[in-house]
Parts: sequence; C-alpha cells; structure tokens
Amino acid sequence: MGLRGSACFNAVLSLLPISALADAVVEGRVELPKSHSAPVVVKRYEIVTQGGVLSTQPPLAVVYLEGAFPKPKSPPTKQVAQKDLAFLPPLLPIQTGTRVEFPNLDDTYHSVFSYSPAKRFDLGRYRPEERPIPSEAFDTAGLVTLRCDIHEHMRGLILVLNTPYFVMTDAEGRFRLRGLPPGQYTLKAWIDSKTTREKPVALKNGETLHVDFP
Amino acid sequence: MVVVSVLTALGLYLAQRNITANAERDLQQEFQTELSSLHRLQELRHAALVERCRILAEKPRIHAALEDNALDLLYPSAKDELRDLMEGGEPAPGQAASTLRARFYRFLDSTGAVLPPPNSKDVGILSKAAEAELAFNKLPDQQQIGYLPDTDSGKEILDEVTAVPIFSTETGDLISALVVGFKPFEPVTRRAGTGILSGTWVDGRLHLPSLSKPARDVLAAEIRGVPMNTDHTQNNFTVHINGAPHLLFYKRLNPNSLFPAAYEICVYPLASWIAQLHQLRWQIGGGGMALLLGGFVASHFVAGRFSKPMEQLAVDSEKNRARRKRAEAALASTSEKLKRSTRYSAGASHQLKSPVAVLRAGLESLLAREGFDSKIYEELSALLHQTHRLAGVIDDLLLLSRMDAGHLEIASEPVNLSQLIDEWLDDLSAVPDSIDVKIEKDFPIELNVAGEKRYTSLIVQNLLENARKYNRRGGRIRVSAQQNADHVLLTIGNTGCPIPREAQPHIFDRFHRGGTGSSISGHGLGLNLARDLARLHGGDIALLRSENDWTEFQVRFPVAQPAPDPAS
Repeated sequence: MGLRGSACFNAVLSLLPISALADAVVEGRVELPKSHSAPVVVKRYEIVTQGGVLSTQPPLAVVYLEGAFPKPKSPPTKQVAQKDLAFLPPLLPIQTGTRVEFPNLDDTYHSVFSYSPAKRFDLGRYRPEERPIPSEAFDTAGLVTLRCDIHEHMRGLILVLNTPYFVMTDAEGRFRLRGLPPGQYTLKAWIDSKTTREKPVALKNGETLHVDFP
Repeated sequence: MVVVSVLTALGLYLAQRNITANAERDLQQEFQTELSSLHRLQELRHAALVERCRILAEKPRIHAALEDNALDLLYPSAKDELRDLMEGGEPAPGQAASTLRARFYRFLDSTGAVLPPPNSKDVGILSKAAEAELAFNKLPDQQQIGYLPDTDSGKEILDEVTAVPIFSTETGDLISALVVGFKPFEPVTRRAGTGILSGTWVDGRLHLPSLSKPARDVLAAEIRGVPMNTDHTQNNFTVHINGAPHLLFYKRLNPNSLFPAAYEICVYPLASWIAQLHQLRWQIGGGGMALLLGGFVASHFVAGRFSKPMEQLAVDSEKNRARRKRAEAALASTSEKLKRSTRYSAGASHQLKSPVAVLRAGLESLLAREGFDSKIYEELSALLHQTHRLAGVIDDLLLLSRMDAGHLEIASEPVNLSQLIDEWLDDLSAVPDSIDVKIEKDFPIELNVAGEKRYTSLIVQNLLENARKYNRRGGRIRVSAQQNADHVLLTIGNTGCPIPREAQPHIFDRFHRGGTGSSISGHGLGLNLARDLARLHGGDIALLRSENDWTEFQVRFPVAQPAPDPAS
C-alpha cells in the first residue's frame, strides 16, 4: 500500500510543473470488471491471467491522454521491485523513454526477462545486492510482460505510453487527470491486455471535463 | 522280465517327457523374467525421460517465447535450456549421462506440425522424412513414447522419442509440444554368448543391427506373418533364422501411444537348446537302459545266491517232516493216555460220590438215634465230619478232573466280587469254632470281574478259609481289592505261622499241605483248585509273601467288560 501510494503520489508530483502551465482537468470513472473478491483498499493487487487476458486483480485501469507529445529531455527513473516472489507494482504505466530499475528485494535470485514485442530484454540472474540496480529503458510504446526465469509464476506488466499524461484509477475506477494541455485529444482507458476504451475529448484551460467509461 | 522292461521304458519315457516340458517352461519363464526386468528398466527410463522433458517444457523462456508471440526466440531459448541434455554438452557429474542424452529436439506448433528450427545443427540433425514423422495430426495432450528409425551417416539408428505437451500458462490451452529424441536404450546387462538377439519392431520394420540384412529380411517377413498388432502386448512364437529355429518374444514398448506401435523383440536360438534336450534325452535313455541291464544282472546273481539255500531247505524239510510225524504220533498216544487218565479220574469221582452219600446218610441216622453212649456220639460226629470232608475232596477232584479233561467251560459274566467277599466273610464269622480274628476290609462296594459266579466264589472261599484256618488266635485277616486297567487284584493276608520258605514253591501242587501240622483240616487240593480255576478265567494266584506272622496271597481276576446295552 505504501509503495503504491507513493507511486501514485510520485506520478502526481511529476506532473506538477506541467500543470502550472496548462490546467485542464479530466475526471470521471472507469467501469471496471466485476472483481470476484470484495474491493479492499489495502489489498495487494497482482497480475492475473484469465483466458489469456492479463489484468490486475482487483481490477484497476490506466487512463491516459493520447496525442503527440514531446519526449521528456531527462526521463524519470521508475522501479519495479521483486518482493515476496512478485513484481511490485505489478502494473506500471510509464512514458516512452523512461528507464525502469528492477531491484531484487527478496533473499533469492531473480532473473527478470521479457519476450514481449514492445521490449525484449533479459537481465539474467542477480542477487539483492547487485549494483548498479539492473535497469532497462523502454522506448517503444506497448504492453511489456515481465517474467522471471527462476519463478515461472511471476508476472508483471509495464504499460509504455507515448504520453506524459496518465493516471491509475482507484479501486472504484475513479480517476482525475490534471494539468492537461488544451486541445482535441483522445482519452483512453486501459483495462486489461485485450481491452482499451477510448473517447474523444476537447480540453480547455481552466475547465474540468467529466468523462465516464461505461 | 518283459513286464519290468516295459514298465521301465514307460517310466523313462514319462520322465523324459516331463523333463522336456519342464525345460521348455523354464526357458520361457527365464525369458519372461528377463524381458519383464528389461521392460521395467525401460519403464523407469521412460519415466525419467518424460519427467526431464516435462521440466524443460515448463521453462519460463520457452513459455514466454510461445505465449508472448516470440517464436523466433523459441529455439534459441531452448538451446540454452536443453544445452546439458544435448550431445556435446558437458555431462553432469555423477550422472549416467549417456543414457539420458538427447540426439535431437523439435517443437510442434498448435496444429501438430513441426516448427522449423533456424539451425538444425543446434537441435540435432534429422532427415526430412524422419522429421516429418514427428508431426501429429493433432497435438497430444499426454506424453507419448515412440521409436523413430533414421540413418545417421549411413548407419541405421533408432531414436527413442518422447513428446510432452505444452499448455499455455495464460490460457491453459494446448499450444505446443516438445519432442525429444534420445539414443535408444542399450542395456549392458544383455548376456553375451548365449546367442540372444534383441531388437525393436516398429511400424512393420525390424531394427536388429546384430543380424545380417538378408537374415533380418527373412525374420521381418516371418514376423509380419504373425498378427502382432492385436490386443496382445506380449507373447512369443517360434521363428527361423538361417534355417535354425529360434524362440521370439515380444513386448509392446509404448502401449497407448499415438506414435506407431513399437515392440521389444528378443530372439533366442533354440538349436543349442534342442541339442541340449537331445543330449538330455539320450542321457536319460542311456542311463535307464544301463540301469535296467544292471538290474537284470544283479537280480540274476541274487537269485542264484538265493536258490542254493532253498534247495538245501527242501532236503532238510523232508527230513524234518519225517521227524515231525514221529513226534506227532508220540504226542497223540500221550494225549490218548492223558484222556484215559482224566476219564478215569472223572469216573472214579462219580463212583466215589454215591458211597460217601450213603455213608453220610447212615451216620446221620445213627446220630439221630438215641440210647448210645455219649462217646459213641462223639465218634459218630467225627466220622460224619470226615464224610463231609471226603465229599469236599471228591467235589474238588471231580472239578479238577473235569478241568484236566478240558470239559470245564466257563460261562463268563460280570460277577460282583465285593458282594461275594462280603457273603463269605459273613459265613466265616458264623462258623461255630471260629477263632477270634479281626477282619479288615478295604475294597470298593462294587468290583465286577469276569467269570462264572460258582467258580469265582470257590476261589474266594478257598483263600478266605485258608486265611481263617491258618490264622492264630487273636490274629487278623485283611482283605483288599482294587481295580487297574484290565484286572482286579484281590489281596488276602492273614496273621499266623508263615509257610516255610522251602515249602513255598510247592504250595500250589496237588495234595500238598504247606508243612502245617495235622491239626488243621484240609486235603491239599484247595490252592491247586483255586489257581487252576483262576487261570481258567484268565487270571492267576500268587503267594506275595509269607514271613514274620504274615501270609499274603494275591488273586488276579479279569475285569468284567461293561454289560452290553440291552437296547442293542
């Protein structure tokens, strides 16, 4: 919970300089798939596969504003840790060009790799004290499935986006995206590996737009 | 002689047949055992191979390549994962590496077709035809074992192929299969020198490298003639290789496999076995004949030795017969004399009885008459007493003579001995001139002996009377009786002057009176009579002891058989 909270907080913080210039806001709710277990805020969520579809459990969505935005000059560095034989966070949305570190917080070897078309990499085996922390830069947009060669059940997702404007919903699907530039865009909601919903939006300075994804 | 010969021959034939059957059964059993142990080894190996392949098929990289749309990374990933399995790699230390060494591997796509490897050197070279044989019409959802004949640089080889299904970790669908070809199993324990050939029969083709090609073709044709692809998973039949009979055993190597049926084949040359059997037969036959011949010689020799004394015996027995005839004649005359003597005795007794009776009657009538001097009465009374004695003697003599003549027949019945003794003891105490003796009794109320009551009573009477007669004043009589298994033992002891030691052996003689004074009445027949009667009943009387004021006789009576059930 702490990490997740801080991750969200970091995402908000990183948007602050932009929001000072452009302050269009989109908020609303994404209707999430029914969860089998009751939504508990503190509950750890994980990547599950059902019928070949990867999603988080309990369900969460990523809402992002699609468009042609310039890549940041100094992309931020994010982290996906391996803790208790799971990726943490299990789902990480990032902007293209972002470098992600994969610290091993377990007392065992991990061997993180991905064969996904968006990013193929193989960090090989490494221990917790491995320095520098193995990392990869993600330059192509798309969904990257993270696996561990030693622990075959481990799955993680990195959603690489061409936009700096994205946010994760809460467990009820509510989201609020601030500091957006005015203009005509497409607002998208990534729900699982096979489902992304989208809506056209017209953003104006100082206005708050309400968008729901049914 | 002929019968013995025929019986022996028959016995030999049966023994020989039995041995042949046993040998045949032993051979089959030996084979089955070898084959099944081989098969168990195979099964273990299969399990090991399948497990090895299953673990490989679960490798995350292989799954990632198949599931994350990265087929181009499939074979490169597998190359890393299967490195130690493939030939050329470093064998793991301590592992029987050569037997679990793969020669090739391939992946099948979701339709069952072989996914072409980018570089066949890395995955093991296979001919196009052999590679095509790895494909399935539909992916198998369970592991399969198969055998794939191929040629490697002109040499015929047979690969043991294991196919394991790969299920997607994301969807659970059957997405692929890993097919690994291993070097075939070459058990080192195969016994050399016995001529056993072993090979494999796959899909109508025989793989038996140790046999020359023409012989193999002939054998294959012969196997093809046998319907092996039936329900039988194992069986045996006889085949001919180069004209020599062989026993062939087969066993299905891959039951329930989607790959073509493969059979383990063991061929055992029967020629040496048949030769052995022949030899055995000759040995049995020859041994039997030798035995028979030896028997004849031995019996002739033994018969010769036996016949000599037999002839001597015949001569001797002729002499003996004459001797026996003479003895028999002597016996007959003696017996006649004896009979005459007993007849005389019997007749004499009868002749004696009537005058005594007359005498007694006369004396009694004189005693009854009055007017005589009192001294005459005493004389008459003494005379009458003598006639009673005489009558007793005559009775005894009569009985003895009947016994001597063998005319006395015993009507055996249960007699209550205890009751008899009691009656006689009562009588004894009633005798007027009875001296003052104390009587001790120690016997159960009922003791049944077998005999005729009259004579049993006579025995008891005789002994009791003796015990009283030869007692002293103030003495005692002890009567005890007990029963053991077959006999009742009656012991009668009395105080009084003992029988002199030198007289003791003669007390049972007729007319012998134990050296006692004439003051005691008696005629010396009582004990003799009692003993003869006891013996006639199957018992006996013996003097137990006679010393220190105590004389003891013991009578042995046979126990009465229980009276038959009146109902039966």
